[in-house]
Amino acid sequence: MRSFEFFEPTTLAEASRLFAQEHAQLLAGGTDLVIGMKALTETPQSVISLQKIAGLAGITTDADGGVSIGVMTRVRDVELSEEIRNGYTALAEGAAEIGSIQIRNLATLGGNIAHASPAADTVAALLALDAQVDIASADGERSVPIHALFTGPGQTILTAGEIMTRFRLPSPASGSHYIKHKIREVMDLAFIGVAAAVDMDNGTITGARIGLAAVAPTPIRATEAEELLAGKSLTDAILAEAGEAAAAACSPISDLRCSAEHRREMVDVLTRRTVREAVARAHA
Amino acid sequence: MSDYTVVGQKVPRVDAIEKVTGAAHYGADVHPAGMLYGKIIRSKHAHANIIRIDTSEAEKLSGVRAIITQADVLSGRRVFATDKVLYLGEPLAAVAATDPDIAEEAAELVHIEYEVLPVVQDVMEAIKPSAPRLHGDATKDGPNRRGISTQLRKLARDKENDHGDEIRSLEAELEKYPDEVYYNISAESHTEAGDVEQGFADSDVVVEDTYVIPRVHQTYMEPHVSVASADSSGKVTVWASTQGPFAIRSGIAGTLGIPLTQVNVIGTTMGGGFGGRFGVIITHVPAVLLSQKTGRPVRVQMTREEEFLDGRPAPGCVIKLKTGATKDGRILARQALAFWDSGSVSGASIGSTIRVRGVYKIPNLKVDAYGVHTNKSGTAAYRAPGAPQAIFAGESQLDEIAERIGMDAVEFRLMNMREEGDAVPAGGSEPKVGYKETLQAVADAAGWWERETDENQGWGVAVGDWTNGCGPGGVYISVHEDGSVRIFHGSMDITGTDTSISQIIAEILTVPYENVTITRGDTDSAPYSTGSGGSVVTFTMGNTAKLAAEDTHRRILELASERLNTNVDNLELREGAVHIITADPPKSISLGELAAYSLSTTGGPIVGKGSFARQPSTPALAAQIAKVEVDPETGRTRVLKLIASQDVGFAINPMTVEGQIEGGVVQGYAWAMMEEMQYNESGNVNPGFVDYRVPTSADLPTVESVIVEVPAPNGPYGAKGVGEPPITPTLATMANAVRDAVGIRINELPIKPEKVVTALQRNGH
Repeated sequence: MRSFEFFEPTTLAEASRLFAQEHAQLLAGGTDLVIGMKALTETPQSVISLQKIAGLAGITTDADGGVSIGVMTRVRDVELSEEIRNGYTALAEGAAEIGSIQIRNLATLGGNIAHASPAADTVAALLALDAQVDIASADGERSVPIHALFTGPGQTILTAGEIMTRFRLPSPASGSHYIKHKIREVMDLAFIGVAAAVDMDNGTITGARIGLAAVAPTPIRATEAEELLAGKSLTDAILAEAGEAAAAACSPISDLRCSAEHRREMVDVLTRRTVREAVARAHA
Repeated sequence: MSDYTVVGQKVPRVDAIEKVTGAAHYGADVHPAGMLYGKIIRSKHAHANIIRIDTSEAEKLSGVRAIITQADVLSGRRVFATDKVLYLGEPLAAVAATDPDIAEEAAELVHIEYEVLPVVQDVMEAIKPSAPRLHGDATKDGPNRRGISTQLRKLARDKENDHGDEIRSLEAELEKYPDEVYYNISAESHTEAGDVEQGFADSDVVVEDTYVIPRVHQTYMEPHVSVASADSSGKVTVWASTQGPFAIRSGIAGTLGIPLTQVNVIGTTMGGGFGGRFGVIITHVPAVLLSQKTGRPVRVQMTREEEFLDGRPAPGCVIKLKTGATKDGRILARQALAFWDSGSVSGASIGSTIRVRGVYKIPNLKVDAYGVHTNKSGTAAYRAPGAPQAIFAGESQLDEIAERIGMDAVEFRLMNMREEGDAVPAGGSEPKVGYKETLQAVADAAGWWERETDENQGWGVAVGDWTNGCGPGGVYISVHEDGSVRIFHGSMDITGTDTSISQIIAEILTVPYENVTITRGDTDSAPYSTGSGGSVVTFTMGNTAKLAAEDTHRRILELASERLNTNVDNLELREGAVHIITADPPKSISLGELAAYSLSTTGGPIVGKGSFARQPSTPALAAQIAKVEVDPETGRTRVLKLIASQDVGFAINPMTVEGQIEGGVVQGYAWAMMEEMQYNESGNVNPGFVDYRVPTSADLPTVESVIVEVPAPNGPYGAKGVGEPPITPTLATMANAVRDAVGIRINELPIKPEKVVTALQRNGH
């Protein structure tokens, strides 16, 4: 590891000012950053911890019936939160897929998203659950839908000094579910990840959102598949169409883990499965 | 067997507490005063000529104490590459610095100029004439299946006589078969018994297939580490994490031209070995060279990435296998042609190809095996070296035959298995073995005969054989005045061997197991001991310990006879005291009292000695059955049941034996389902645990172990080596179970989801 300067600001404004400097990195849980620093793929000159800034961690209920999750909320807390497990099941399932329990006790939801890996385990769920991302900087605050956050692998729209503060989720969908395609049962990276959230009314899908991870340079929504499902009741035929549409929305790569073709096929399979399960949960 | 009180019991391991509390002292815990941190500078290309190595900038970095290259190896033995590198990560130089970060920074500042060469990673490509040659122009050396080149090489080596005519005629012969000439060959091995062509001709069913087994890493938890300290007299001390301190001592002495006893190797607690911890030049020699140059102790410790780039993993291989059988289920012939990926040097376990014969009566057998050079690091042993690969091919194909002739997979195997006195194809005859008992035991335990399956579920069975090695060892025993017993030896504890040794000595000296403790000596102090690999330790050191305990026993009775003033024949050692058998009222003297008494006798303290080198070993069988469920849409396989039986001869500690069985099964499962070192033209592309997957406890059900005991005549209490056999059949067990579940046979490991999906689609799924 190269030497660096370490800062523990107590206010967002101070953190933002420090973060606006060149070669600065934010430290949340450190489960990605520290590994990168040890491997010398990250060589920041200053590391700014968000640990001492009040109000960045925790899950709170919003007035509109939704919830806000602070960026410094530990992934393990997201996984175990009754509110998330009941209302935003796909997110709890995504959180539970990250690393080991030890890692999840350190890692934060904000870090998992800020790292901007297309394979992040919580990102498909946050897409399906239509999360808004609140961003603060010295110039004030702004908010973007999560699907607009990413610009490429490891890349976001965040500009110098901008720090994500919380994820706001609207009131719960009727049912949601996340499935990760992997080889190892636990502690594996997502070959692909698919999350679905559905709103149901009397047996009809009134709205569906599908988030896909590790199938394109950024996490994406399968909007054509979503539109196919809207207004329909669940049948094998409509699921097959939605699966195919989701697969068509992908632009996966072939790498050492598997081929692009396999990824596309698995998007088809897992889209059908996640939507079916999300609908089943809505009925439960 | 119930007469025993300590052996045969599940006593806790002697190292249990220090392991679970973290008190155990591993290689990286060694920190002599003034220690420097070494770092090896490695090739960034898989195949390249080295134009220049420039260390000048790195040398200027503050905190750097030495940078060494091959020029610093005065013995001339190859430690670092000089003009050419053959794999990504090959060592080119090493640096010692006051701080590990400085060492790392210095490594980056060593400038190396390369001329990049074409790379070959696939053995089937490497044998072609078009392949880049790793070791010069090997065209003329290209061996072929007729063994002509072997003869040629033999003749060329004979400088005493002129074989010109013979050589010319053989070369002419060689040219007749250009397609059979293989290139980049590092070694070859040929075995033949009977007439395979006739055997195939007489067969009703002949199956031929190609099996591909990947290179896998031993993935011991503790990466290679050594701390070396060379003093001004030239004496070298090395703290080494190794399976064989004495092998490391002679390796270092030989490589660097140091007198043998000027090297002292202190074995540190081993964080796993599995055969991969015998290497001399991986870290030990660089550490010694850096210490010699700086005059300070130096630690060289590998990162996990370095382990993957420059460890010595198990070789992958391609095996073309053909088997013929009659329709009533007799195997008549088997032929194998194997290409083992030995990497940049020779040394892959190509001889293990013979294990395709299994434990079956096969009258006609032919095995041709080649080691093939590719742009990878060299290989080393991994738990029954070569056997899991060969047995995967053999046992997969056996299931195919059974299926074609409509026989049950267990019945088919039982019918063909050898028994005592049966000829071993190309290798003598069987002693008393427990093959059938072991397979029968696992079938019974698994409920094979009444097995049930739901949709997409299946059962697989396979067996694997292995025979433990044997080697020299020595043990000393002292009995102290408090009646406790102290053992002294120089063998490294591997998966509970010190526990077994303690049990054997406690049994013979009739003392509580807790009263026996072990001190491990270094190579300066302890008697020679063979390396802890090849399932030798309990066999070798168990026999040694037994001899030492019997020697101690003799001395105890001798002392007691003197002290109690009676003939030795009237005495009996039991429950930690010597009793006069015929005395009434009873009369005895405790071991502690005898030890105290011994200090003032002419004969002196109670010391026993045992020394042993070799006795014939007996083959052991591992038989396994798995029940799996395959998701045909995602290709993922879940193991529902895993039952493993093993003939262990005699289980000195059934708990550690079960641990060995479980460990072997898990490693075999991993090799079958997920582990694979992946390479492309730039080298190893998954040098870490993110993309080199080892299983976790969540991937497997509890392994059910079934211990079978058919005693080995020369093993201590009948014990056979237990460490290696359990990995040998698991690869085929898994493939056979997947086949039974969804009707596809995966011959190219690992059985990754994508391969299953693709195969099912090919099957019209």
